[in-house]
Amino acid sequence: MEGGGAAPVAMEGGEPMSKSALKKLEKAKKAAEEKRAKEEKKKAEAAAAPKKAKAAQHAEDDEDMDPTQYRSNRLRALGELKEKSRNPYPHKFQTSISIPEYVVKFGEIQDGEHLEGQDQSVAGRVMSKRASGGKLMFYDLHADGVKIQVIAQSNYSDLSEEEFSRMHASIKRGDIVGINGFPGKSKKGELSIFVKSIELLSYCLHMLPKTHARGGKDQAEKSLDKKLSEVTIASEDSKVPEHWHPGLARNLERYPLKDQETRYRQRYLDLMLNSDIRNVFKTRSQVIRYVRRFLDEREFIEVETPMMNMIAGGAAAKPFKTHHNDLNMDLFMRIAPELYLKELIVGGMDRVYEIGKQFRNEGIDLTHNPEFTTCEFYWAYADYQDLMKVTEEMLSGMVKEITGSYKILYHSNGLDQPPIEIDFTPPFKRIDMIKGLEEYSEGKIKLPADLELLDSPEVNKYLVETCEKFDVKCPPPQTTTRLLDKLVGHFVEEQCVNPTFITHHPQLMSPLAKWHRSIPGLTERFELFMNKHEVCNAYTELNDPVVQRERFADQVKDREKGDDEAMAIDEGFCTALEYGLPPTAGWGMGIDRLTMLLTDSQNIKEVLLFPAMKPHEDVIEPPVRAADDLAS
Amino acid sequence: MLARVGFVARLPGFRRCERSLLSSLRCNATNSVPQTSEKPESKSVRNPRVSEGGRRKKGADLDSTSSREDIRAVRLKKVEELRAGGFEPYGYTWDRTHFAVELQKKYVDLPSATEANEEKDHVAVAGRIIARRVFGKLAFLTMRDDSGDIQLYCEKAKMMDEPFDLLKTSLDIGDFVGVKGTMKRTDKGELSVMVGEISILTKSLIPLPDKWHGLTDVEKRYRQRYVDMIMNPDVATVFRNRAKITSEIRRHMESLGYLEIETPVLQGEAGGADARPFVTHHNALAQDMYLRIATELHLKRMVVGGFERVFEIGRIFRNEGISTRHNPEFTSIELYQAYADYHDMMNLAEELVERCALAVNGSTSITYQETEISLQRPWKRATMHSLVQEVTGIDFASFGDDIEAAKDAAMGFFEGHLERHDTGTIMKSPSIGHLVNEIFEMVVEKTLIQPTFVMDHPVEISPLAKPHRSKPGLVERFELFVYGREMANAFSELTDPIEQRARFEAQVQTHNATMAAAAEYAKAKGDTALASAANDAYEVGMDEDFITALEYGMPPTAGMGIGIDRLVMLLTDSASIRDVIAFPVLKHQ
Repeated sequence: MEGGGAAPVAMEGGEPMSKSALKKLEKAKKAAEEKRAKEEKKKAEAAAAPKKAKAAQHAEDDEDMDPTQYRSNRLRALGELKEKSRNPYPHKFQTSISIPEYVVKFGEIQDGEHLEGQDQSVAGRVMSKRASGGKLMFYDLHADGVKIQVIAQSNYSDLSEEEFSRMHASIKRGDIVGINGFPGKSKKGELSIFVKSIELLSYCLHMLPKTHARGGKDQAEKSLDKKLSEVTIASEDSKVPEHWHPGLARNLERYPLKDQETRYRQRYLDLMLNSDIRNVFKTRSQVIRYVRRFLDEREFIEVETPMMNMIAGGAAAKPFKTHHNDLNMDLFMRIAPELYLKELIVGGMDRVYEIGKQFRNEGIDLTHNPEFTTCEFYWAYADYQDLMKVTEEMLSGMVKEITGSYKILYHSNGLDQPPIEIDFTPPFKRIDMIKGLEEYSEGKIKLPADLELLDSPEVNKYLVETCEKFDVKCPPPQTTTRLLDKLVGHFVEEQCVNPTFITHHPQLMSPLAKWHRSIPGLTERFELFMNKHEVCNAYTELNDPVVQRERFADQVKDREKGDDEAMAIDEGFCTALEYGLPPTAGWGMGIDRLTMLLTDSQNIKEVLLFPAMKPHEDVIEPPVRAADDLAS
Repeated sequence: MLARVGFVARLPGFRRCERSLLSSLRCNATNSVPQTSEKPESKSVRNPRVSEGGRRKKGADLDSTSSREDIRAVRLKKVEELRAGGFEPYGYTWDRTHFAVELQKKYVDLPSATEANEEKDHVAVAGRIIARRVFGKLAFLTMRDDSGDIQLYCEKAKMMDEPFDLLKTSLDIGDFVGVKGTMKRTDKGELSVMVGEISILTKSLIPLPDKWHGLTDVEKRYRQRYVDMIMNPDVATVFRNRAKITSEIRRHMESLGYLEIETPVLQGEAGGADARPFVTHHNALAQDMYLRIATELHLKRMVVGGFERVFEIGRIFRNEGISTRHNPEFTSIELYQAYADYHDMMNLAEELVERCALAVNGSTSITYQETEISLQRPWKRATMHSLVQEVTGIDFASFGDDIEAAKDAAMGFFEGHLERHDTGTIMKSPSIGHLVNEIFEMVVEKTLIQPTFVMDHPVEISPLAKPHRSKPGLVERFELFVYGREMANAFSELTDPIEQRARFEAQVQTHNATMAAAAEYAKAKGDTALASAANDAYEVGMDEDFITALEYGMPPTAGMGIGIDRLVMLLTDSASIRDVIAFPVLKHQ
């Protein structure tokens, strides 16, 4: 599928799923949704009918209430409890089993079977509430991304009928409850807990948006699911996964809470209402755990280096500046841990790594957040060839372990286009940067055979003209480094959909990498691209202090030309090199971007629990609009 | 649990002998060895033990008598000469078969004055030369790698001529070498690699210091940590143990079903503690941001979101003075567990610290700064009030709201034996809760040498903790003290949004009053130092979004924070926080 981003995805039987077919599915889905909303409304009306018991009325009336009124009602109820000296926020509820464990333990019992005498205590959030007369209540209880049904019948309860209905009237959707009862299945086969006692543990003072999408799927949706899943796991095409799984495509359209601002600013709501999200962040955690385990197994030592420095070195980026009052000292937030980690290698720790935050004072967009997470490792006596092998091993192994396959699905061309497949099967393709530039421009770009001449004014002039010719934008300063970078971005990176190493960068683009052992002018470096984005950057480390000083001096020249992203010289680091850095290979990877791929995320904000957002003046409004939209 | 592989070089697909530098060294050596007998560097035959004891031969220590710049120039010249001779003095890679310590173990039974030179005894090692003795046709080098030291036995007769001459003329202490050879234990019993081939992998330009231990400029150890590490391998042992401790914590938390997550460092509002934050500015958003002073409020939002067990191990930043216990950035673990309370957290704290102690020391009995400490469970649990009463004889719970009577009683206890500053602190205490806490810090803290859970703090000093289920005015909180230092802080979390708002408001009010009082005081005294300190006043903000999150309902939850640096200090017997942080923040030079 490489480079085939725009091509239709082949479906089972070789039939492509055309744009119009997708549209049709969308349409059918929408119609179904409308239909369901209508039914829901009808049900609500029915529920409000006078023949229903009082308790039921309570349950359903709430849904139509004005959100402000709803909150003040709940606050009043809380106040009343406190006045009666009753603590509405209990200190402890002892659970006997988690809900996922409950599902495992009792999931296989017979339909209609009740295990009286095997009492359990569970707790979770009430995500839906349904009444059937005054003596029977149903709840959906969610915890740890799993749900069970709660069945409360007044005859199982110690409470009088009146107390029973008062108790259940006080429980609203979104509340946290603790339940003691026995396991069983409804006649329809739904795993449930039959309530003996129920306790309100924490109140949800706001109306939660409805979660229609959790309910039964209609036909159109199911078939869409099926088709998407077929693309992923052909062998399992009969099994439509109910929940999103890493490596599959996500369908954000199906989320009950769609508003992006709300999702990112109030991530807890996103987690509560959009069931995939929990799994997205678990995947992120799995990625980091895999990297850690991979390196620990190879006896790398995890270390922590400073996040605040006198000089922000190790990369080219604008740093954040802050001030230490007591020491009256300006400090910069780190932009990379590289130089400190290499100092530890100088100090005799032969294999070190750090997983942590880096900070860059740059704009926010789909792939950039001011703080982001990287892993860097340094490995004495190894070189960039070793790193390529390790990179293949780590990433293919990780993707296989986390997703179950080497191939993942990703919406590379927008959510309205079918997802593409990205294949992590090792070995990864390798493209020599300069040769690639010449090849993928179909020979229209020709660089001097002697690559040491790249630094000349003639080449610079040629590159400026070339950029103009191919309409490749390079805002000033038009240094050779920046011009080359833009051209490579245009011609070479575009080829890198499946994981691809771009290797052998010119020296002037790589001030910390060692010159190539046999090709003058180039370095022993590679970047790994996936879905046309850089994910790893690695090289044989430059350890000649004299050459390192020269390279820094070149960077300073670029800085003077106005490239404020050129690196600053770090004297302390050069001194460390003079004490001797053994031959070392160093490697860095962006955790966020890798996680984006495995979670079919097009926006980095999807994989950050609390992404940086523009300041907002108003206090967060509960997202009632979403509820309204869904209900109408 | 982690499978331990011998070492990386043995992993499949890692071997690449063909690119050994040595081949080039041998091939090109014919006319390449610089003739240097008349040159100054020929004098660089130095006492090999300088790094270990400082004893040296008379008149043989060029390095310590020449200026650093001179030596650098000499070594730079060697770099040039090596290149001119076709040797690259900054190698690309080395295929190592063994670490020094692995060889020490493997050949532990090799008798003195014996060689082991069968096929299986061919080894390749690499490391830094830390000592060097060269005679006519024999040289002894001590090489240090990641694992430890081993001697290199270089006999001209056993090597090609060129490498041996090269070693004599171009190799200095501090250089990295790669060596291939067989094994030998010398007559004196020193296990050695009988060098067949040697190549310089990295030429060092600056000589290692003669002595590093007891260096007068202690700060230099921190400023150039790598030199500290080269000269004193115990330094790196602390960092290895640090890694073991965080790894053990992670493993245990994961086995309990906790999920590790990352919350932001840059925040619009620095909440979760009362400390001066660092301020920075985001250009694109045109917005000032704070560096987090705690991870608490964001982790709790995740409990609201349904992650019932979460933790974060990460960096925290506080804009405060530096000391043996304080670095502006430090590492903590904060963890939150739904449906648990602070009693559960006490059990967990015991479990975690015990596991870390076992991982590092193999025992729960440790020695810290010559004091025996038993980390054997269970640890002492006592309330703050009772501990204060034990020392002062005063029951501060008996004063009700009468703060003046409480202050009189406190002043009576001290009978005027107080520093001016402490008197001020007592007199300025805005509530009995604050007063009890101040007295606790003055007289009780330092007595808590063995692990002690100090429980049930006054509500006034605990804005995020849940009211005690039976003791009015107190909260369900504990701090863990060991060796007089706070190691952990935990609560049953406050989940009531109404009360949380009121607590925040009270905190802001108290904070502002304290800041104003300090400014007033400085003004009245005309004390410029105090006045400038007061000018550094910072604001405590109110995290409205957090309160909104609580309004969506947080289950009963307990949370705990543990200072990783202090835990590492305790378990590695390190006196200063700077000994457990690789690159501590230091004053301007």
